[in-house]
Amino acid sequence: MDELPGPFPVGRYARKLQEELRRRARVRLVGEVTGVSRSKVQAYFELRDAEGAVPCAIWLDDLDKAGLPEGALRDGAEVVIGGGPDYYPGGGQASPSFAFRATHVRLAGEGDLLARLEALRKQLRSEGLFELQKQLARPRLPKTIGVVTAESGAARRDLLAGLRRRGWAGTVVWAFAPVQDRRAAPAISRAIQELAATPAVEAIVVARGGGSLADLWAFCDETLCRTVAMLRVPVISAVGHERDSTLIDDVAAVACSTPTHAAEAVVPLDCDAAREALARSAAALRRAGEGAVGSRRRHLVALARGPARALRRERIALNQKTREIRAASERGLAERRAFQRRIAQVVLVRAARRAAGPEADSRREALHRAAVALRAHEPERTLERGYVLAETTTGEPVTGVAAARAADEISLRFSDGRIRVRET
Amino acid sequence: MAESASEKPESYEAAVERLEQIIDRLDSGQAGLRETLELCREGRELVTYCSTELDAVGADLEELKLDELAAKLERTGS
Repeated sequence: MDELPGPFPVGRYARKLQEELRRRARVRLVGEVTGVSRSKVQAYFELRDAEGAVPCAIWLDDLDKAGLPEGALRDGAEVVIGGGPDYYPGGGQASPSFAFRATHVRLAGEGDLLARLEALRKQLRSEGLFELQKQLARPRLPKTIGVVTAESGAARRDLLAGLRRRGWAGTVVWAFAPVQDRRAAPAISRAIQELAATPAVEAIVVARGGGSLADLWAFCDETLCRTVAMLRVPVISAVGHERDSTLIDDVAAVACSTPTHAAEAVVPLDCDAAREALARSAAALRRAGEGAVGSRRRHLVALARGPARALRRERIALNQKTREIRAASERGLAERRAFQRRIAQVVLVRAARRAAGPEADSRREALHRAAVALRAHEPERTLERGYVLAETTTGEPVTGVAAARAADEISLRFSDGRIRVRET
Repeated sequence: MAESASEKPESYEAAVERLEQIIDRLDSGQAGLRETLELCREGRELVTYCSTELDAVGADLEELKLDELAAKLERTGS
């Protein structure tokens, strides 16, 4: 180390360091105030955000000139300070110290917060943390839901009213936490984690009744939002801010503007409507079951009746045919007999005419032909072919069943004889 | 068949989805008698399951703090 310059007296070096630092550019810083303390002439605090912190000091005169509201410079306040780095070299008795010497201070406006928010949002989005919760399956009908909110407040009441409107009356597990400012973030984060670690809890609502972005700053806390993003239980955010969404809205599974909407998101099923739909389904099933069996039973019964009906139909048709055949048969016999009589008459007339002629031989021959022809038409010839002639016992022809029954006993004449028959 | 009728549905939404499939199938009129009776049986089981699920959130809304829930779960041995 002997090659290094010096050694210099440390007091001189300390003053040189002070000069160097005071030459650095004056800037504005934005962050959260913590650890505020005061001496007779100065106020001390740390200004910090998630990435780091700087010790700060401001003369009370400068603080008074800033015109902050009474007590505004307090732990948790988001402020913008103007100034530059400074170094107090200390002395024989006093300890040295580094501080950012603030000469101006004002409360951070929404513009300052939004700028920080956007930077953080960009970072978390680039890490894919906005998508994790949205990929989780959300139960349509959870039985137990967890809710992180303030113990007293409209959010609690509105959420319960919303749940009841959906006909839902399961179990709500409350994890109360302050939800007012940035300091609330660790408590909110812890409450969410405790709910998520309870197996019965199927979804978590984080609710607050709205406010300015500064009021909702806890819900933009990086640690809180990273915690939510990594949970395996879906989180529904309802920290309504009308103009700008908080960071928890981005990482949550669902972001709602009001606790009422959160009730609809955490229990997607309208339970009253579901009960009515279920009753309709049950009725449809009953109808389908009964209808299927009933229609088939009717069909089977119809089939069972089918053969009997068909037999009856055939029997009627058969009887009709029988009657028609019988009528036709009677008609045919009568016509045939009349035809034979006409033929015989014609033949006899012709034979008589010829017999009366001068030539006896030819007349005889003609008479013989006539006899042969006549014989061909005799009923006996018909009987020889297998027909039977029904007659009464006195030899009268019987032409129908009625006549046969009336005769009590009839005679059936064959070609080679006759027999008598009686109905039994 | 998407799932066996005798198995408990994995969730209410799965049960409702299957129930809607069954009713659509029955409404189509294309199911034979055996399938119809089987679908009706499965459907009745699903209706019973859904009804039980709805009944579980149909009585009185219960409000617990986290430690109360933990104590309740310990009592019930869940």
